[in-house]
Amino acid sequence: MSHEQNKNLIELSQVTKSFPLASGTFQALKEVTVNIQKGKLVAITGKSGSGKSTLLNVIAGIDKPTHGSVLINGVHVEKLPESALATWRGKNIGVVFQFFQLLPTLTILENVMLPMDFCNSYPKKDRKERALSLLNLVNIKEQADKLPSALSGGQQQRAAIARALANDPPIIIADEPTGNLDSQTATSIFELFAALTKAGKTVIIVTHEKDFSGYFEDSISIADGVVVNEVVNA
Amino acid sequence: MQTRYNKAFRDLTSDYSKNFMLILAIAIGVFGIGSILGGYGVIKREMTDNYMSTVPASATIEMEESLTKSLVDSVRQFPGIKEAERHATLVARMKVGEKWYPLLLFVVDDFKNKKTNKPFFVSGEHEPATGAMLVERTAFVVMQANEGDELVIKTPNGHPQKVKLSGTVHDPGLAPAWQEQTGFGYITLATLHQLGEAQGFDQLRILVSEQPLSRQHITERAQAVGEWLKQSNHSIHEIQVPPPGKHPHQSQMSAVMSIFIVFSFLILILGSILVATSMATLMVKQVRQIGVMKTIGASSTQITTLYITMIVILCVVALLIAIPLSRLAASLFYNQIAVLLNIEIRNNSIPYWVPLLQIAAGIIIPLAAAAFPVIRGSKISVRNALDNHGVSQKHFDENSWAVKFSKLSVFSETFRLSVRNVFRQRSRLTMTLGLLAAGGAMFMTAMNVSEAWNKNLKRIYVQRLYDLEIKLNNPIHADSIIEKIKSIKGVKNVEGCNQASTSVSKSNSVEVTNTYPDKGHGSFTMQALPVPTRQLNLTLAEGKWLNNSKANDVVLNQNARGSFKIGDGISLSLDGKPTVWTITGFTEDVGAPATAYVSLEVFSRLTNTSGQAKVLRVSYFDRSKENAIRKNREIEKLLEKEKISVSATIPVWLLQNAIAAHMKVLINSLMAMAILMAIVGTLGLMSTMSMNILERTREIGVMRAIGATPGKIRNLVVWEGLLIGALSFFIAFAFALVLSTFLGRFIGNMAFRTPLSLTISVVALIVWILLIVIGSYVATLYPARRANKITTREALAYE
Ligand SMILES: Nc1ncnc2c1ncn2[C@@H]1O[C@H](COP(=O)(O)OP(=O)(O)OP(=O)(O)O)[C@@H](O)[C@H]1O
Ligand SMILES: [Mg+2]
Repeated sequence: MSHEQNKNLIELSQVTKSFPLASGTFQALKEVTVNIQKGKLVAITGKSGSGKSTLLNVIAGIDKPTHGSVLINGVHVEKLPESALATWRGKNIGVVFQFFQLLPTLTILENVMLPMDFCNSYPKKDRKERALSLLNLVNIKEQADKLPSALSGGQQQRAAIARALANDPPIIIADEPTGNLDSQTATSIFELFAALTKAGKTVIIVTHEKDFSGYFEDSISIADGVVVNEVVNA
Repeated sequence: MQTRYNKAFRDLTSDYSKNFMLILAIAIGVFGIGSILGGYGVIKREMTDNYMSTVPASATIEMEESLTKSLVDSVRQFPGIKEAERHATLVARMKVGEKWYPLLLFVVDDFKNKKTNKPFFVSGEHEPATGAMLVERTAFVVMQANEGDELVIKTPNGHPQKVKLSGTVHDPGLAPAWQEQTGFGYITLATLHQLGEAQGFDQLRILVSEQPLSRQHITERAQAVGEWLKQSNHSIHEIQVPPPGKHPHQSQMSAVMSIFIVFSFLILILGSILVATSMATLMVKQVRQIGVMKTIGASSTQITTLYITMIVILCVVALLIAIPLSRLAASLFYNQIAVLLNIEIRNNSIPYWVPLLQIAAGIIIPLAAAAFPVIRGSKISVRNALDNHGVSQKHFDENSWAVKFSKLSVFSETFRLSVRNVFRQRSRLTMTLGLLAAGGAMFMTAMNVSEAWNKNLKRIYVQRLYDLEIKLNNPIHADSIIEKIKSIKGVKNVEGCNQASTSVSKSNSVEVTNTYPDKGHGSFTMQALPVPTRQLNLTLAEGKWLNNSKANDVVLNQNARGSFKIGDGISLSLDGKPTVWTITGFTEDVGAPATAYVSLEVFSRLTNTSGQAKVLRVSYFDRSKENAIRKNREIEKLLEKEKISVSATIPVWLLQNAIAAHMKVLINSLMAMAILMAIVGTLGLMSTMSMNILERTREIGVMRAIGATPGKIRNLVVWEGLLIGALSFFIAFAFALVLSTFLGRFIGNMAFRTPLSLTISVVALIVWILLIVIGSYVATLYPARRANKITTREALAYE
């Protein structure tokens, strides 16, 4: 797997994540080594409590690994200080949450423009146009000036995906993005993710839903913090 | 505008009720500081300006004889003396309706060219003709007359005569006449003679040319003038040096002002707690959003700047509201005080440091209060912020006493949940309790102290067992008149006593007293009483009351006490000669100037007035004011018939009125403070309570979803409010006890040199309990209704 290093966008080696508990430490990830190639749609599966979210958080720099290294696009994420991490994450990782997490007082358009503002990534005058085109991409351009509360769950998730794409990050991660949606809406979201990989993005999704396994090229199965099955299609 | 500032702006404008509360919290603090310090700044400046612009005499030398013009001219040439002037002051009486009141007459040498203690001309004649009198503007109320009217007055040696009130002046050096229950009039020497007095100008007022504010220097110069006069064969009665540059009511004013400063400081703290609580609540709500923003690339600096911008906007709005309103309140406040001090506000500009301080306090304090939650919020790790466990539940564990307590089976389920909710967020609870306790403690303290004043005032009837004091012009053999008064129906007792003005003698030179030109403030009197006396029951602070009619014992009241100790010898001047006494006790009198109490027998021996009395004190069986007025009139008629020359009659009820009027400034300001505290406290309670509920909209949605009726939820929330209110009450009460004790001691000592005893105002207790109950009820009702209105779906959809 790791022989073609230049093809790997994400390389996790010997990553251990432990949480301190009253009764000792709890290892949520145990010496996990995973490589993910550029342009793939990757599924992370496993039972509840197996460590899926933790793995995703480690990749996004939200959780720091206790041991091991996380190399993304040539950057050692675990070594970045907190201040640099925010900007790095803003530019390199687009995060999609299960509960959408749009800022309630900003319109959909403004929500999408916000990451560009924080990372100062596009010229000010171009931001609006870019946000609109992203909303167009996810098919909710008409909702641009509404507040999140006026949108359905599926629409909100589309907006959240548009926001995740705002800074044109190479990697999109999503933790159960369809957990709150009906299967039809979920299908359209997965189609959206599949289209993104066609455009060269790497998309990593935590999911329970077996019905969508057809969309995934690769999959990583976790049980009790250990990778039990890794399917990589060439 | 950058997108993130859209968020700041939108957050500010989207939730009116919450942001309104925040602005209110800041505005109240800023308003409190501005109104109190603004008023204080103006009063302090104007009081000094007013008083100093009358050119108060540095010292007054009282002579035993009249002064000639040439003598005054030569004093003016004396080294270190800038100005000298002749004057006379006389206590006469005036007839108002059927009653006689004291009237202080100032006899002026040259109205056109007055050099010291110059009153300001208001209206009418500038210089009264013979038989006419100028009146201090505040005295018309006491005289129940207007400019142009006539008033019957009687000097000690004259017959009652009508005098025309031909003009009005304003003398800021005098306390308001209604406060002293005395009239103030200005006449020429010719008028004085026409009124039946033979005396000339017997006071010499001087102004020193250097160090006008040094009492020591003034005393030294005045004594030098005194020595020189003595050597030129003039005899001197005493030298009066009132505290230089200080208005006669300065010490009372200082007491009032120190209360204000203490309270405005406390308001500031209260306001900050309010802001801090509000900010903490706001930030709890924002934590998840901060997490989201950090996930999509916001740095800690960006987030901190964002929230600081939000807070500064809130502060600016609060300042824009509070500063103009506080200036308005300050003007109400200084105008009220100006009336009480008899000063004229000529320059009503509020010192520039007041708004500066307001701006500093109104921005820095909220920022500092918000700093902790903002920094914590932006430092929080993304994971913590996004964690579904939420940040808010960290402090709750099932072994806490709150849970155990609420498990007691006597309580309903709803009440149990309320108890746990109250203790769920310790830090917020602490802040809310702190706020309410501080507000409550200050409210109750203000009420307690003002009640202690009133109680102190009522002691006047306990201490003075007589109802009428009659001061005679000359000592008389009083036995027969005493018998005649005693035979009047309703008279309980009559005593003859004596009194003289005195001062503590220091070796050599002339006596120096602190007396002000109104002859009351700062004076020192020796009272000679029969031993034992049945007319006084003074509160002994230390030592023994007079018990040996033959001993040279003296008892001093708190105003005369100084640094003397029991058993000390003291030399007191009587008619210019030193007399030696032993101190046996100290009293705490209500409403008496500095006084030394001695045995009448010893006094008479020393002054060669054996068997004579200069003061008669009469007590009645019925002590009511109505009866006193009636009996006083009968006695006055009797004295007139017996041709006894009376200089003043002072009913005790009049004295009480005068003292009450003196305390009015203090009581009014304490009450104003109490009301302000009540408002701040109630608003604080309401804002924290409603924020507390608003924040839990989602939780309430969940409860609704699992079957709680709106009524149940309202009960839950109202119980929570009442519980916090009840808890705060006990803390407030405990603090109020401590604060009242200290404040009572401090104010009492400052204004009247006697501590106020701790008094608990029942009214304050009841009012505060009502405020808390109603406040918590109202504060929780609205958000509970609002929470109930939001549909369950909406409540659960987002935070
Ligand atoms: N902050 C934490 N402190 C302690 N233990 C934690 C913490 N976060 C996660 N864990 C534990 O680590 C393990 C893995 O958690 P994780 O959230 O990664 O599971 P998951 O596979 O995403 O489960 P789910 O499918 O239910 O979301 C769980 O047993 C969880 O209890
Ligand atoms: Mg998970």
